[in-house]
Amino acid sequence: MYTKVVHMALFKEEQLDHAAESITRLRSLGISDKDISVISGIPFSEKILDRPMNWTNVGRIGLAGAILGFITALLLNFGTPFLYPLRVADMPIFFPIPTSIVVAFELIMLGLLISTFIGVFVETISPSYGPQGYHPKVSDGHIAILFSGPMDLDQQFHSTFAELGATLEHDVEEEKLWL
Amino acid sequence: MAAETKLFGKLKTSEQEHEDPKEQLMFDPRPREELNRMVMEMMTTTTRKFWLWAIGLGAGVVVLLFGAWGYMISTGMWVTGLRRPIYWGVFIVTFVFWIGISHAGTFVSAILRVFKSEFRRPFTRAAELMTTFGLAAGALYPLIHLGRVWVFYFMVPYPNARWLWPNFRSPLVWDLLAITTYLLSSTIYLYLPLVPDLAMARDRTTGIRHTAYKILALGWRGTEAEWFRLKKAIQIFAFAIIPVMFSVHTIVSWDFAVSQVAGWHSTIFGPYFIIGAILSGVSAVVTILYVLRSSLKHMDYFLRPEHFDALGKLILVFSMSWAYFFFNDYLLGWYGGEAAVRQILTVHATGPAAWVWYTMLICNIVIPWLTLWNRKIRRTPWLMFIITLLINVGMYMERYTIIPLTLGHQRTPFDWGVYTPQPIEISIVLGTFCLFTFLYLIMSRLIPLVPVWEVQEGQVAHSLRKVGKAEVPSVTELD
Repeated sequence: MYTKVVHMALFKEEQLDHAAESITRLRSLGISDKDISVISGIPFSEKILDRPMNWTNVGRIGLAGAILGFITALLLNFGTPFLYPLRVADMPIFFPIPTSIVVAFELIMLGLLISTFIGVFVETISPSYGPQGYHPKVSDGHIAILFSGPMDLDQQFHSTFAELGATLEHDVEEEKLWL
Repeated sequence: MAAETKLFGKLKTSEQEHEDPKEQLMFDPRPREELNRMVMEMMTTTTRKFWLWAIGLGAGVVVLLFGAWGYMISTGMWVTGLRRPIYWGVFIVTFVFWIGISHAGTFVSAILRVFKSEFRRPFTRAAELMTTFGLAAGALYPLIHLGRVWVFYFMVPYPNARWLWPNFRSPLVWDLLAITTYLLSSTIYLYLPLVPDLAMARDRTTGIRHTAYKILALGWRGTEAEWFRLKKAIQIFAFAIIPVMFSVHTIVSWDFAVSQVAGWHSTIFGPYFIIGAILSGVSAVVTILYVLRSSLKHMDYFLRPEHFDALGKLILVFSMSWAYFFFNDYLLGWYGGEAAVRQILTVHATGPAAWVWYTMLICNIVIPWLTLWNRKIRRTPWLMFIITLLINVGMYMERYTIIPLTLGHQRTPFDWGVYTPQPIEISIVLGTFCLFTFLYLIMSRLIPLVPVWEVQEGQVAHSLRKVGKAEVPSVTELD
């Protein structure tokens, strides 16, 4: 039984290739992908850093919101005339097509967009797995490779990252960045 | 020999005309640390002039907008120039104007993002902010125009005491739904790409600012999952907000077109209004960019002649499209043979208010067509400022022509009338201009107006590639 410690390797913004290389080397040292996390000041695709594919439910949550918007539109368009019929010009009272299409469109879009945002918000504040940590230099363009690994490999981590031109920090547990 | 010299002379001129790639923002990268510092300085530098403007505009909002509106509420709508047969005046004109202005944020940000137009990067946020505040200013007008503002809740979809619901077949209810949808979604669309920049601001501030940015940044660290999620959400928004934008101004046009009013009942009003809105909105973006460039520290690094050039080309295209739709609407009205419509068209061009109609044509067609084909003019920010300001004068005149000038000459000549905006109306209109500028001014010191991460992403993706003997600008897709 050994204890895992979170390390953070900081690469300068122009050292992207070295950052990608360091992930390969960490794998060869026996660190699995779930124990590695990359934080950066700009987005890089998984392919660039050779990382596993990410996933998110934002699209699905958005779709659910769109369906909810559609149901609301159905109730407003086709339900409210039953509660109080209103005669307007020569339009059908109970099945107001095509005017209901406009209301349906707006509410579907409203549902989609608001729930997409809710999805982002909920996923963002939900606890995340993998090594946690932050350094303000990330918003200055540095690329940080966070990984948790056994202390007995510490010497090898140091020599690997020194060779790649990164600075290595230990015990970079996440400070409280939100509420 | 003479011919050769001439030829070489020409070549030299054409070579000189080629822009050095280093003059473009994407090929003139600076370290992210420096970009952050520049943007933070923009946000935190306030001069005496800034405070004078802020106080002046704030006073304008209080006196011109809320003071005049309060007076109008307490005395009644008779203080306005609205009389039979003209019940829609400058309030509705300005409502359409602001809703039109608000289209630029989506256009510049969402459409250019979808098509991966790289020049958009430094000014998407400035345009999105314009959308949000333009909509906020515009959304006040249905309330102002209502007169009895306290009964506004009748529009809200809930049953009143008699179980009477709003009429969902009315374009006015559609307006409420469309504007609410657009306001909420464009505000979120402004906020989402702002989160990484708020985190950057969080890392560089202390005290109350730090606390505010910390809350708004939602604990952003920049993990792969966070970027992936953000990109996904921005993508959904960029695609979904475009049809919403189209729907908003189409519905505004239906406020007119579904009626039987001569000159309004037109099937082409939807696209005609949209094109006008985009022309007016993109022009307003240029106007604002010029003001930002000349008033904010370091903004001249981010906003360069290339951006005015690109937007100038867009404006020229939209001016031509607007002319096309205008002519379509005009010709069919004239050709259709309905006496009232022909009478209206004649009055527009020869009546006492013909100057409004000609100002519209000069500002929307003549000025852009005579100037914007020229690269030098497009790349001269102060000239672009004047041109775009004039285009928006033209677009305001267009709405004025469509609304009170058309309403005053309907089918029954004994009921013709002339509308003169009264000081109270002019005050309220000026008040919303103060409100828009005030909100923009304050916000320019609260949020990073330049999306730093997007600029850096663009700079990383751009490079000069050697093709043959030339170095050619190229873009790599990092996605």
